[in-house]
Amino acid sequence: MDFRLPESARAVRDGIGEICSHYDMSYWERCEADKRWPEEVWAELAKGGWLGLAVPEEFGGGGQGLLELTVATETLSASGSAGGSAFTYVLTPGFGAMTIARHGSPEQKAGLLPRLAAGEIETCFALTEPDAGSNSLAITTSARLDGSEFVVNGQKIWITGVQRATWMLLVTRTIPAAEARPRTNGLTVLLVNVPEAVAAGTLSYRPIPKMGANTTPSNMVFFDDLRVPARNVVGEVHGGAVVLWDILNPERILLGASALGGAEVALRVGVEYARQREVFGRPIGANQAIAFPLAAVKAKLELARLMLYKAAWLFDRGEPCGTEANIAKLTASQAFWEAADAAFQTHGGMAYSLEYPVARLLADARIGLVAPVTEQLLLNYLATQVLGLPRSF
Amino acid sequence: MNIVVCVKQVPDTATERKLRSDDSTIDRSANGVINELCEYAVEDALKLKEAHGGEVTVLTMGPDQATDAIRKALAMGADKAVHLSDEALHGSDALSTSYALSQALKKIGFDVVILGSESTDARTGMLAAMLAERLGVPQLTLASKIEVDGSAISIHRQTDYGYDKVEATLPAVVSVVEKPDPFKPRYPSFKGIMAAKKKPIEKIGVADAEIDPAQIGLAAAWSVVSDFTAAPPRGKGVVVNDEGDGGTKAAEFLVSKKFI
Ligand SMILES: Cc1cc2nc3c(=O)[nH]c(=O)nc-3n(C[C@H](O)[C@H](O)[C@H](O)COP(=O)(O)OP(=O)(O)OC[C@H]3O[C@@H](n4cnc5c(N)ncnc54)[C@H](O)[C@@H]3O)c2cc1C
Repeated sequence: MDFRLPESARAVRDGIGEICSHYDMSYWERCEADKRWPEEVWAELAKGGWLGLAVPEEFGGGGQGLLELTVATETLSASGSAGGSAFTYVLTPGFGAMTIARHGSPEQKAGLLPRLAAGEIETCFALTEPDAGSNSLAITTSARLDGSEFVVNGQKIWITGVQRATWMLLVTRTIPAAEARPRTNGLTVLLVNVPEAVAAGTLSYRPIPKMGANTTPSNMVFFDDLRVPARNVVGEVHGGAVVLWDILNPERILLGASALGGAEVALRVGVEYARQREVFGRPIGANQAIAFPLAAVKAKLELARLMLYKAAWLFDRGEPCGTEANIAKLTASQAFWEAADAAFQTHGGMAYSLEYPVARLLADARIGLVAPVTEQLLLNYLATQVLGLPRSF
Repeated sequence: MNIVVCVKQVPDTATERKLRSDDSTIDRSANGVINELCEYAVEDALKLKEAHGGEVTVLTMGPDQATDAIRKALAMGADKAVHLSDEALHGSDALSTSYALSQALKKIGFDVVILGSESTDARTGMLAAMLAERLGVPQLTLASKIEVDGSAISIHRQTDYGYDKVEATLPAVVSVVEKPDPFKPRYPSFKGIMAAKKKPIEKIGVADAEIDPAQIGLAAAWSVVSDFTAAPPRGKGVVVNDEGDGGTKAAEFLVSKKFI
């Protein structure tokens, strides 16, 4: 067994690490406070070929896989961007590039991949609806074939990054959930040109004021007789589930990686304060009540890292990785939350001051237990799919 | 054009730097990074290559760990490297370093040699001038911009009043200074880092470069570190209350400390 990262992944860690070393915590804090996309970092990532890591070389990419994207997301997040801002890396290099590379038609690949790799265009992913979150198969946004076009009607919620996206990966129902046998049948993934649809007045969106992760807005999205050419189907009509699983597993792994990086940031911030702050004449870190939660987080985040890399490695080999992806996501999100919580307690009252990064980290960490999949649903998966316990729902 | 860029590995300025207790030389065992101004030199070399074609060779003198700095320069886009590494070079001062590098440069051959105007460890800032003298070619120091036209080379040398334009004929030695965006050194790209792993690094020793052992190393050094002490901890600051004469008081303070 060889636990070393391959050269390609080490190159990612070094290269992105070097870019990030020029953009410290305060840079990311300013982006968050100003609700501003990290343009400078984005431009450097594009220039260095880091956005196209998972795009095949023939389309101008780095020809790598999910493991490299995982290390990239982790590095970006650990540098100080932490959980929320790592959406920067997941939406386009993850959702867009990986999905088109795996499931796109030859025309979709030729048209989109080179531009995705160059950072010229961005993507977002629309699955969640007001009445379909954890129960995502219950989505009702419908696509009906009309000649050579699909006509889409419905509503999505929490869709992140619509503002910058040229293309939306939109999950629709071509067979209503109630009629679909099995329930995973009848899903169709469409590529929607967002600016064109907005111009046509068939797609509109409204940002949701939110608690954190404000470098990238999340939105309610409305589709009103949106027309999508049939050639924009990704994968098969009715057979979108295959595409969807290949989005959801990497999504779990990448957002797990972003949580892992966030846990590292929170731990760093907590440990530093525990070392410096003196109360009763000694550093507070000398008290085991302060030290142990930090130490426990260290143990957990290292475990999460191993499982994240394993899950990504399985995915890249084309092997099933659902169990590993879910365990990795669960552990990494918990590690981030516990790290942020420990950093908070370590800072005492100062944690509550926005002069310190702890409040932001806490807000970032909290999302990980809810999105893109909740802690309960991850445990449900392990209980029913892995342990074979009866299903209650 | 045959461009050689001299690159040095130095102890990271962001960490605590030490002198060795046995021979008072710089401790190079840990936290080595590429000297920041050398990155600017590599950037300028790459820009010249992009404009005029040719090849960029990295030349480094330093212990084995210096390969990190070399890989960085190769990842940025340099084509190949020569690593002059020999125990006999340990403790060389600026004069003997310039001698050793000039011997290596004669072997490699060059149209232009580019280097940073100083390194963050020794900070003598003299190497470019010494090197030019040893090689018998013009020196164009403290360049903020380099232009080549046929066999003519010219630079902008930053001054208080703007810049001087300095011209010479190739071959020449150029030392470069820090520059603002968009002239900052590029970050290595993914493909750059991957390709760098396969680029050739030729390791040479003192004998290969026909370096006279009597002129290098600690024994041959013209400058000697006779003693050193740690910098004293910073004292308490002085608060000047401005009662209309704050400027005068601040100036008097600076005069008393011989700053002005
Ligand atoms: C910042 C942010 C960004 C997002 N970005 C995107 C995006 O870009 N694209 C996208 O499609 N979606 C996005 N989402 C949506 C996200 O994927 C959903 O919020 C998530 O899947 C949870 O769904 P829900 O909010 O509807 O919660 P619900 O499904 O309503 O769940 C509510 C609670 O009930 C619990 N629960 C439900 N059923 C069970 C059960 N059987 N057993 C135990 N507990 C249960 C859940 O665990 C949860 O605690 C984003 C969300 C956030 C917060």
